[in-house]
This record gives sequence, C-alpha cells and structure tokens, in this order.
Amino acid sequence: MDVRITLADWLRDELQLTGTKLGCEHGVCGACTVLVDGKAVRSCLMLAVQAGGRSILTVEGLSAQSSLNPLQSAFQKHHALQCGFCTAGFLMTCTAFLNDNPHPTKVEIREAISGNLCRCTGYQTIIEAVADVAGHAEARQQ
Amino acid sequence: MTDVLPLITPRLIGTSVLRSEDPRLLTGNGEFVADIFLPRMLHACVLRSPHARAMIKSIDTSAAASMPGVHLVWTGADTSPRCTGIAAGLDIEGFKGTVQPVLATTTVRYVGEGIAVVVADSRHIAEDACDLIQVDYEPLPAVVDAEAALAGGPIANDTLADNVILERAHTVGDLDLAFATAAVTVAGRFVNNRYAAAPIECRGSIARYEWTSNQLTLWTATQVPHFIRSTIAKSMRFPEHNLEVIAPDVGGGFGQKANLFAEELLVCLLSLELKRPVKWIEDRRENLMTATHAKQQINDMALAFDADGRLLALRDRVDGDGGAYNTYPWTHLIEAMAGTSSITSVYKVPALHTHFAAIVTNKCPVGAYRGIGCTAPQIAREALFDRAGRELGLSPFEIRRRNVVQPGDFPYTAATGLVHHEGSFLETVDTLEKVVGYEAFLDRQKKARAAGVYLGLGVSLFSEVSGIGTAAAYAVGFPVSTHDTSTVRIEPTGKVVVTTSITSQGQGQHTSLAQVTADALGVRMEDVVVRSGSTSQTYGHGTWGGRGAVIGAGSIMRAVQVLREKILDFASDMLEAASEDLLIENGQILVAGSPDRSVPLARITEEIYFPAKAHKPGFDPTLEVTAAYDPAGVVLSSGGHAAIVEVDSETGLIKLEKFFAVEDCGLVINPMIVEGQIRGGVAQAIGAAVLEDLIYDENGQLLTTTFMDYLLPTSMEVPDVDVTHIETPSAFTPGGIKGMGESAMISAPAAIVNAVNDALSPFGAFIQRFPLTPDRILEAVAGNPAPASPAL
Repeated sequence: MDVRITLADWLRDELQLTGTKLGCEHGVCGACTVLVDGKAVRSCLMLAVQAGGRSILTVEGLSAQSSLNPLQSAFQKHHALQCGFCTAGFLMTCTAFLNDNPHPTKVEIREAISGNLCRCTGYQTIIEAVADVAGHAEARQQ
Repeated sequence: MTDVLPLITPRLIGTSVLRSEDPRLLTGNGEFVADIFLPRMLHACVLRSPHARAMIKSIDTSAAASMPGVHLVWTGADTSPRCTGIAAGLDIEGFKGTVQPVLATTTVRYVGEGIAVVVADSRHIAEDACDLIQVDYEPLPAVVDAEAALAGGPIANDTLADNVILERAHTVGDLDLAFATAAVTVAGRFVNNRYAAAPIECRGSIARYEWTSNQLTLWTATQVPHFIRSTIAKSMRFPEHNLEVIAPDVGGGFGQKANLFAEELLVCLLSLELKRPVKWIEDRRENLMTATHAKQQINDMALAFDADGRLLALRDRVDGDGGAYNTYPWTHLIEAMAGTSSITSVYKVPALHTHFAAIVTNKCPVGAYRGIGCTAPQIAREALFDRAGRELGLSPFEIRRRNVVQPGDFPYTAATGLVHHEGSFLETVDTLEKVVGYEAFLDRQKKARAAGVYLGLGVSLFSEVSGIGTAAAYAVGFPVSTHDTSTVRIEPTGKVVVTTSITSQGQGQHTSLAQVTADALGVRMEDVVVRSGSTSQTYGHGTWGGRGAVIGAGSIMRAVQVLREKILDFASDMLEAASEDLLIENGQILVAGSPDRSVPLARITEEIYFPAKAHKPGFDPTLEVTAAYDPAGVVLSSGGHAAIVEVDSETGLIKLEKFFAVEDCGLVINPMIVEGQIRGGVAQAIGAAVLEDLIYDENGQLLTTTFMDYLLPTSMEVPDVDVTHIETPSAFTPGGIKGMGESAMISAPAAIVNAVNDALSPFGAFIQRFPLTPDRILEAVAGNPAPASPAL
C-alpha cells in the first residue's frame, strides 16, 4: 500500500466502497466520517496505513441486506436528507453518538452533528430524525 | 401548446409521500460522478493561475510530461485549436460577449483560471506532475474594485473595450416629483458580499470516447445535461446524436451546476485525444476559487414615502461585480440585471428608476445561485422599508401591509412590467404577524433590553419568479427560450414509466413527479417510476429557476392527458359506456355511477399491446406520449420571512433564535419536500447574511479557499424554521403549481439583516455592509455604522 494514501481514498478507490464521500478533504465538512474501532473519524485526515489491524465501519455496513436500520429509516421518515452527499457522514457521526449517548436531548443532538456540514436540509430534520430514533420523551419535545 | 391546461384531482398530491430516492442514498448506493470507475480510466488535474491578471510568457511542461504514469500534458496551445472555449453572449443591444478559453493561452484573467492539464494513471500522479510545470508569468495590475473598474483604469479582460458588459436604465413615472413631495425619504448604499453555492459535492466530470462508434459519453455533475450536450456539440463541432450527457446523482447544485464549465469541454477533448475515459474531480479549493461565485452587488437605493407610509418611488443603482468572463448561458446579467427586473416585488411602486452596470473584474465569474440577482436588492429594499417605518412610527408589518398589492388590485402590472395575476400578500403579512406573536415579542424585547440583552425581529416579503420558461425569461430581460418535455409510457402490464428532462440535485422530483403522474393518470404511486438525468431521455433544459415542479408536472400532465383519452376511448367499447362517463382510479377503469362495471387498466393496456385480433384501421396502439410544456405567462409565487435574533453587544455575535416562513407556492405537491426546500434555503441565507464571504485582496488573490476560512452554517447557527403554507393557485400552470425553491435565498437574508438592525436600534444601527461579521456588529454598537450616501 502507498503510505500516503488516505483512509478515504483507500476505501473509495481500492475497495470501491464509494458510500463514504469527500466534501472538502481538509477535515471540516464531515462527509467522509467513518467509525474506527467504534469512534467517528474523518477518513480524509487519516492515512490508510494507520487503519492496520483496526475495525472500520462505513455506511455500507449499517444496513442488513434489503432493509434500512432504524437510524436510516428515521432519516427517510423525517426528510433528513436531500441530495444525499453528506448523508453517510451524518449517519456515521450519529451512530457513534447514539452508541455513547442513547437518550440525548435535542440540544445534545444539535451539538453532536455540528461537525458535519449539510447544504440542503437546514439540519432541523436531521435532529428530529436522531431524536426519533433515540426514542427519548425529552428529546421528542423541544 | 400551453393554452389548454389539463385538470387534476389531487389524491397523493398534497401529501408528504416519503421519497423513493432515499433508500439508495442512505445506504451508500447513490452513484455520484466521483463514484464512477470505468475500465482503463485516467485522471486529470488542472494547473491553475496563481495570478489575477498576467501574461503567460512561457510554459515548460517537459518535466511533468516525463514523469512515470503521466499520459499527456496540455496547455492552452493544445486546447485552443480544438475548441475556442465558452462563448457567452446574449442578444441584447450593447451586450459584450466574452470567450473563456478551455485553458488560458496568452493571458490569465483570474486566480484559478486553468493554465495546463495533466492526465495520469492516478489523481495523485497528476497532481504531483502539475507541480513540475514551470510557468513564466508577467503579472499585470489586477482589477479588483468594481466601482473603480467602471470609472476606468486597467481593463480586466483585454478582449473588451472597457470593463462593462452592459449598463442599462429603466424609468417609470416622475421620480423627481415623487422625491420632492415625499414626507419621508430613506436611502442607503448596501455593499453585498460575494459568496458561492458551495454544494457539498464539488464539480466533477468523466468523458469516455469510443472511436469505433464515434460515441462520446460525458458524466457530469450538472443540473442541465441537455444544455451541456447541445453546447458541447456546437462548440466542439461534435455530432450531437453521438454525444450522451449523463447527470448521475448530483450532490447539490443550487444554480452553480447550471452552466457550462471549461472542465466539461476539457475532459471531452482529452478523451477524444487519448481514446480512454478521463476523470476530473474538483477539490474544495478549486470549487471555492473557480466554480462560479455569486451575489456581489452594490445597491445604492432610495425610497420615497408619503405621510401615510405609502411608497411613492423607488430608485436603485446596481453595480454588479461579475468577474472576468460571462458564464454561459447566464452571463453577468444573472446578478446585475435579474434583481432589478423584479425589484418592486409584492409592492405597489408608482414611480421606479433602476440602473444597473455589469462590471468586469479579475475575479471568478459569477453564475447562478439560488435567488440569483435578487438577494442583494431585497436586503436594500427591505432594510429601507424598516427604516421608513421607524421614522413614520409604523411597525414592520404595518408599513408592508400598506404597500403590498391588495386583493382587489389583481391583475396588477408592476412598474417592472411583471404582472401579478393572483397573490396572498396581505394574508402573508397578517399570518406572519400572527405566527411570530408580534405583541408578545415586543414585550419580551423590551424586558430583555432592560436586562442588556438585544433581541430583534426582522421581516421580509418576497415575490419569486418561478417555473421559469420562455415567458418568464423574457420578462426578466433574458432573450432566451426554453424547451422542456416529459415522456410517459404505459407498459403492457399497466405500469408507468416517466422520463423527464427535470433533473435532480436532491429535490426529490422522482417522488413528487410520481405523485403527479399517479394522480393525473389515476394509478397507484407504486406503479409509477420517474427517471431523469440523461440526454438519451426526453429533451429539456433541466432544473433551475424554481421550475422542477411546474415544468415537470406540466409536461407530464399534458402527456398523461393524451394517454387517458386514448385509453378511455378504447375502454368505452369494452365497457359499453361513453368515454366521457369513464374514469380511472387506483388503476381501475370505472363507469361513473355504475360501481359494478369496471376493468383493470392493465387489462386494457394488455389488449392495446397484444390485441386478440388486429386493431381497427386507423388505431395507433402506441402508449407512449412525449409532451412539451412552457408556461404561457410568468408564474409568481410569494410569501414572507421573519427572523428573531439575539445580538451580543460585547462579542458582536448573532444568535438566530427562531425563523418563520409563510410560503405560497400554489398547489403543494409534497409538503415535506416544500418545507425541506425552505429550511435548506434559510440555512443558506444565514450563511449569506452572517458568515460567508469570498474575500479577494488588492492583488486579486482569493483569501478564502477552505472551509476554515469560508464558513458554512452548521447546526449551531441554523434554528428551527416554522413553515406556514398558503395556497393561491397560478392560472398558468396545471393544477396551479408554482415553484418555490429560490424563495428563502431571495428573502431570508433580508429578514436576518432587519432583525439585527432592530436588535441594535438602541444604538441607531443601520448596517450596510455584509456579511454581518462581529466587527461590523461592534462597529454598529459603537454608534459608528457606515455613513449612508445621499439619495440618488
């Protein structure tokens, strides 16, 4: 493996797992977020060689064959995506977040997704989707 | 073609059907240009100018060309004999067209302009090889200040005689009299920022030339594949029928992907040369430097009111900074002219004077961005309404209530020439005042101020020229025609395939137009599929200008109408009933008043495709109809926005507390999708008003080329948006559908600006430079806002 290949390029170009997107390649937009050993990581800022021996989860690994997982379903139900380019990054960020904090408030969700840029939705419906899947009474209110 | 409008009975229309696009996009199965890998594909990287204006004295590509893995290095000397570039003009007297070369030849005219291209086995090799290209430049003074450029000095684009693409004035009524007799005159000089659509997916294109069939295929992140195809065919003299342009999933467009780009020509030329697929994927730095900018205008505006707060006159002088070239097809006029063409908006303006100058500078060309030229003049006009309201003691709602076109005024011809055939402007103001809870807000504002907390409420009303076809384009000054079609085919089993020229960049048309098709034909949603995005399908001008719903639904409904009549005629024999007494519901053909007599649509379609015996002479069994649609008039949607903000007088930071939108886009197809468009537009508006600024230094160097410098709004800046729908149908469109995709970026920035001025009214703030950065807020708090210029 070429040592200078980023994890994102390796996933996309070598493994052709193209669900992980590149929006800025300098670690701001969050579109390339994947889970490395369960933690949300910007795959454009990590070299592929650094992933040796570690567990990587991309958007392709979220759903079982022919069914959406609860978070993906909530995104559809709440119209939490439009063009879909940033969506994998949001799903991975929210997956890690909900693992750490299964019952967040809306304020906590808003903070949790603040490192991911979406140019289509205005974020409100993403927050509603995460709140829905978290299933917390407090989160469903304002 | 447009005189008879098909009727429709909404069943699915008006409901928030979940999007059929989503499962694909949620699982990583979307296919964007960057996700496409073709056998033997090569990768291109463009070397770009570091100078705003310079002569190219020499280019040495030898080291790059000899690098292992490099297949080709080209400069402008290679591209210019093959293609002259992007020739962009408009058939308007005095308009100065420009030609942007595919790669610069002797002169560079903005930072980021392409100089050379390397094609290599990988993007990494191509980028490394670009670093080995030696270019000897002779820098020239850059033209950076548009107003100075208008006055004279160096010429930014040496192919032109001066720095003006077009300058034009429009006058209705006696302005001098109006201003002389006005009770209140308000004026300001509003300096709007330059910013960009910045979709999260940057641009990208792949071309594949296959010499045995002379077939060229271009995959490109575009809103307008047919336009790209027709334009490439002409400018490269390539046979149009052998060229297919495919827009796969596109990761946001917002207008930026609605014009022809040099890189689209370039990858086609490269693939023709190399006979291999060539891929070019833009990075974010390139996107912020080169993928069209927008919105940079200075609006010198004055309003005159009588003592009752009724508008007597509006004067506006627009100086638009359009960059080094015209984009095609929009040109500089997408900013400089488009805003003045609709400046009177929902208001009655007895006397109007507008003057615009489209000015050439050594900056990235301006292109379309949601709300096109309207955003900057909207801020000026709405800010001045509030200023006049303060002087007259009228609330922001009351001064607008007194000036909107009233229900009894329709049809109303505005001083711009635009005709309002219907509207809900008064209802919009009343609704907005109610949903924000104005009285309660005033009480809260007062108490907060006493505690040193500065809350503000800002309002903005808008009219959106939507569903833009030929009539609307001419009405706002663009002498261009559009042609749009959809094809509806009913299969032997009664399933329905729709292909449309309306492309998707995330707006969900494959769902909303399936709703329209299902209701128009009388079938179930799951029996309809909508496809778009390839020039192998039906012809049209794509998605922009709030036209997806209007043009898509219009062309589909016209096609369905023909199919319905044919099917009902055929079924009338079988059901022994007059075709006028037949209807189609849920995929069943029913006899009105006889519920026991029905036949499945699939039974009829099977009989039409595969008759038991030959069809009657003269019967054409084709169940595929292509229909065009171009609205007969200008489709105007409307509404209003209100923002509540809290401004920190110590730090200069603005917090958006709540946002309200009242939207009237006629018949709503899918409320969820409409609200998504509004919320997304409001988020962009917050970026526009508060955060986003493409800053050039005095040498024409762009300083904001990353998302660390160019700030997009995050979830921490964008509040929840409360949306209220009003439905006033258009008489020009089937079902009365109007477009609404642009509205939030026309009007929401003005609401934010007004809210900040209101919050800071104890300091006498009236901010006229944007975005509303902390230093500008603190300047306003210090009671030292930019001085207003005298009335024109």
